Amino acid sequence: MPLSQDPQWYKDALIYQVHVRSFQDSSGDGIGDFRGLAQKLDYVQELGVDTLWLMPFFPSPLRDDGYDIADYRSVHPNYGTLDDFKGFLEAAHARGIRVIIEMVLNHTSDQHAWFQQSRSSRDNPRRDWYVWSDKDTKYQGTRIIFLDTELSNWAWDPVSKQYYWHRFFSHQPDLNYDNPEVREEMWEVMRFWLRMGVDGFRLDAVPYLIEREGTNCENLPETHAVIKDYRARLDREFPGKMFLAEANQWPEDLGPYFSRGDEFHMAFNFPLMPRMFMGLKLEDRKPITEILQRTPQIPEICQWCLFLRNHDELTLEMVTDMERDYMYDEYARDRSMRLNLGIRRRLAPLLDNDRRRIELMNGMLMSLPGTPIAYYGDEIGMGDNVNLGDRNGVRTPMQWDGGWNGGFSTADPEKLYSPLMLNPVYGYQAVNVSSQKRFEHSLLSWMKRILKVRKSSPVFGRGSIEFLYPANHRVLAYVRSWGKEAILVVNNLSSSAQAVELDLRGYKGNILIEMFGRNIFPRVGDLPYLLTMGPYQFYWFRLRKL
Amino acid sequence: MWDKFVVELSQAWQELIRGVAQFLPRLLVTLIIVVIGGLAAWVIEVIVRSILRLVKFDRFSDDSGASQFLRRTALPSSTELLSRFVFWVSWIGFILVGVNVLGIVGLEPHISKLFAYLPRLVAAVCLIFFGLLAASFFSRAALLAAVNAGSPSPKLISSAVRILITVLSVSMAFEELGLAEQTVLIAFGLIFGALLFGLALAFGLGGQELAKRFLEARFLRETPREHEDELSPL
Amino acid sequence: MAEESILTDDFLHELMNVGEVDVLVGLPTYNDAASIGQIVQAIRAGLVKYFPRQRAVIINADGGSHDMTQELVRAASITDLQHTPNPHALRTLHSISVRYGGGPSTGRGLYAILAAADLLHSSACAVISADSTNIEPEWIAHLLQPVCQDGFDLVTPAYHRHKFDGLLVRNLVYPMIRALYAKQIREPYPSEFALSGRLATHLFGQDGWATVAEQDGAKLYLTISAIAGSFKLAQALLGSKTRAQNSPPADVVDALREGVGPLFFSLDQQPAWRSSMPSEPVPILGGRPEVTLEPLRINRKRLYDLFRSGVSELEPLLSSIVSQATLQQLEELASRAEQEFCYPDELWVKTVYEFAASYHRAVLNRDHIIQALAPLYRGRAYTFLVENRDSQSEEVEKNVEALCLTFEKFKPYLGELWDGRK
Repeated sequence: MPLSQDPQWYKDALIYQVHVRSFQDSSGDGIGDFRGLAQKLDYVQELGVDTLWLMPFFPSPLRDDGYDIADYRSVHPNYGTLDDFKGFLEAAHARGIRVIIEMVLNHTSDQHAWFQQSRSSRDNPRRDWYVWSDKDTKYQGTRIIFLDTELSNWAWDPVSKQYYWHRFFSHQPDLNYDNPEVREEMWEVMRFWLRMGVDGFRLDAVPYLIEREGTNCENLPETHAVIKDYRARLDREFPGKMFLAEANQWPEDLGPYFSRGDEFHMAFNFPLMPRMFMGLKLEDRKPITEILQRTPQIPEICQWCLFLRNHDELTLEMVTDMERDYMYDEYARDRSMRLNLGIRRRLAPLLDNDRRRIELMNGMLMSLPGTPIAYYGDEIGMGDNVNLGDRNGVRTPMQWDGGWNGGFSTADPEKLYSPLMLNPVYGYQAVNVSSQKRFEHSLLSWMKRILKVRKSSPVFGRGSIEFLYPANHRVLAYVRSWGKEAILVVNNLSSSAQAVELDLRGYKGNILIEMFGRNIFPRVGDLPYLLTMGPYQFYWFRLRKL
Repeated sequence: MWDKFVVELSQAWQELIRGVAQFLPRLLVTLIIVVIGGLAAWVIEVIVRSILRLVKFDRFSDDSGASQFLRRTALPSSTELLSRFVFWVSWIGFILVGVNVLGIVGLEPHISKLFAYLPRLVAAVCLIFFGLLAASFFSRAALLAAVNAGSPSPKLISSAVRILITVLSVSMAFEELGLAEQTVLIAFGLIFGALLFGLALAFGLGGQELAKRFLEARFLRETPREHEDELSPL
Repeated sequence: MAEESILTDDFLHELMNVGEVDVLVGLPTYNDAASIGQIVQAIRAGLVKYFPRQRAVIINADGGSHDMTQELVRAASITDLQHTPNPHALRTLHSISVRYGGGPSTGRGLYAILAAADLLHSSACAVISADSTNIEPEWIAHLLQPVCQDGFDLVTPAYHRHKFDGLLVRNLVYPMIRALYAKQIREPYPSEFALSGRLATHLFGQDGWATVAEQDGAKLYLTISAIAGSFKLAQALLGSKTRAQNSPPADVVDALREGVGPLFFSLDQQPAWRSSMPSEPVPILGGRPEVTLEPLRINRKRLYDLFRSGVSELEPLLSSIVSQATLQQLEELASRAEQEFCYPDELWVKTVYEFAASYHRAVLNRDHIIQALAPLYRGRAYTFLVENRDSQSEEVEKNVEALCLTFEKFKPYLGELWDGRK
């Protein structure tokens, strides 16, 4: 299956997020690798997704799960070699699967050769590649992101006797993007991977590239200029490749990252995600509709990226204090589940392992405007282990079957990079791919089905959204339309049965065809269209003028 | 002569016997009608009483003050009174039917006249009864309203209401009975007219002050007097 | 039955859309456009601030207003339809306005709200009067929190009130309820109050309520039903009670109809009062209500005049309501000069109890009995004003307390009248 030639492929994409380390170990050392990942491409293809997003796999001291990169042009020996990567990439492309990789622009590991040289002396030629200062009082207006571990954005370097700037952990010094050499070098790094064939980058922590006194050092125009420059080069040299922004910002601040279609192709919709969980718990659509009303219009060629869960905590930075308190109380009553400003849990445990709620949330993820991302393991309902530090609880090995190490590795269980889930509810003997493959009604089979239905219409990826506001606020209903096609989506956020009257006068004369069973529902007339919905039920209807 | 006398006598005797023989069954029928009528009237009375009890007629008459009036005059309760009235009216009706059966010459037209008159009589009695009730109820309502509004002569207003309603109902009753229609109409007209005239006079003289105050308040925008009701009782 | 149901189809349709709620605020109105906007805003602010997580609804039960009352209430909804998002509210706050059937009446409005509380399974329900223009968002918290958090079933308000405000409550309603039902509720006729879902369901299920709804003073009957049903009671201090500036002065007869009528009526319905127990205080949450003392000019003379003329004009009526002894004393009072006039506690209590017994026996039309009490109440009010002319708050409290004790002392007398032993 060849790759599609559409330069806007990302708009129709279904992304599956994996960590090489956690997916499949082929060498028996207890750590996943590229050969293992390549072996499992059939599974990925069968699932129905068409794009893989890999978390960082570069050489790194692994103090921030690979986001602390020590060499941008190589593969961490744990995961194999550069050739292994190339082999994997070819195999993926052969199956019509694109690959997006991480590009951490903002900072490097303190083990990176550049930083080692930079700190070696104040007159080293690479001294200016990082942000140094005599005082730790510069850029006072800047918030600290990792509140649980860091006290300041400045760290003292005892070698060169100056402070260096870091927005994240103190072992991750920020690169100095005011230096043209740095900008040039980072572009060379990207060219290195693009030439090899990767289809796009997820650019990590983009709002923080440039610092200016008197600002909060986020989303500065200078930062946007850097990105625009990279984008122009990308379009010139590698048409059809894509930039995805990780910018955890309020909706109104997100607009500039799309600019006029000349910055990012895609950006994560961070504010929406917690509100989907909130709407579900409140049994009220208000949080969801309100944030989508606030979300800016984006250029035609741009696209939002939607997700329910990912490798990080469920971030609650983009909510009000009251909303955050509510989310904590409802989803993380146990304090150990909280991390920084978020909740470190997987999808299934967050939703009390309730199949109906898991289906509803995935149904909304797949039908709201944007490209959906599924996090590995969530398609089978894997659990999390809050006893592992930091965010490692949601990064445990993929559970393939009920056998040795859950089919992940042949190594001794003690040798695994992380213990497997063992409890009777979420453990690998209860929740695994091979058992779910055998049953048509398993979560995995259901996920395959919904991904297939989603893929059956370009409306989901490309269409506009028009909210219906039925008087029953427990029901979230919208019409997605693109060209002549229109799809009506109705979600019941409530745990009880609901009746809802939809104002479909604009679609008078249309017939509703339920997309999963292809059953025909009554024609739309002059009266409000009455639907009754079971607890957490959702409908996707194709509207057809017949 | 003797023979003739005997013959006449025996003839008369026979006629008497024949007459008695003819009359006795009628009398018997009359007596039966009267007795059955009495029973029937009693049944009707019971039915009327239970209906009145069912619709809580006593409560209604309590409300209107009729009960109080009856108690004062040592009469039974209004339900009792009405059902007894119905009993007697229906029994008398039966008795008259019975008497009619006797076939006494010359009595029949009078009895049928009486029958024709009966419904009107009942209607007239009812009119007077309800009229008195209404008069008592409305006059009291007027009295209370006048007292609580602090009007100068509540008794006058209350009596006027009472007289008006009583006269109205009595004259309606007389009209129903067809007695002295003209006289009653004229009398009613006179009384009604006199009453209204009196009221008009009273209002004109007594309301002078009121009218003045009203006009002052209307045009001079004078602040109204302090009022006890400015305090919220609740 | 061709009679129009209080719960119209539109009403039910709106309730369907609201669905189950945790907190309900009811607002009975009739042509209240002048004050309603401000009141609804305060309620809304209170709900958003103090009950952000609870599912809440504001239900306006309207008697058929011709002004903008209903539109103003509807405008207060917090929904996703608005173009200005409200990030302070976590969830949708429905603010619905419905017209109940059968024409305007406080009872029907209250009945409609109770029905809504029952149908929506609300765990707490507050009812706010459209006259309460000085309402603060905190009132919502003060009224509803005792129900939501502490499990009280009925929370009546307590206010800082002027010593001459609420004379009927101080002189009759409060002491008599206290004596008969053994609960010391300062405002048994509350303009705002909160009740639990349990109580709402209990009241709504009572057969008596449909009839009560047709009468005035349903609120007082609600309070008494809650006491008689042994529900958990509390009082919440809300602040000062002031009436709307432009509202017409309350009519004494209407006040008696609303405040005394249902109280007398309840004696027939709630036999609970026959058992004799000492009265017990009901906890007041949020502080002590104070008696305020600003000078006030009142036309006392009129009260005295109306008492005198009332006694003389209504003598035949009074003679069938009160006992011979009482009537003689009243006539003696009426003959006194203004300076010597004093309607003593004991006589007042006897008068009230004899009226209650006559109301029970229905010696006259019951409404007429209530109306006949008006001149006597005015006489009593006159005495209260004179007695407390120069009193400080404590003295006023003391006098009211003394009257209460007299009411309690003479309770057996009412029992005797009731059984016809006198």
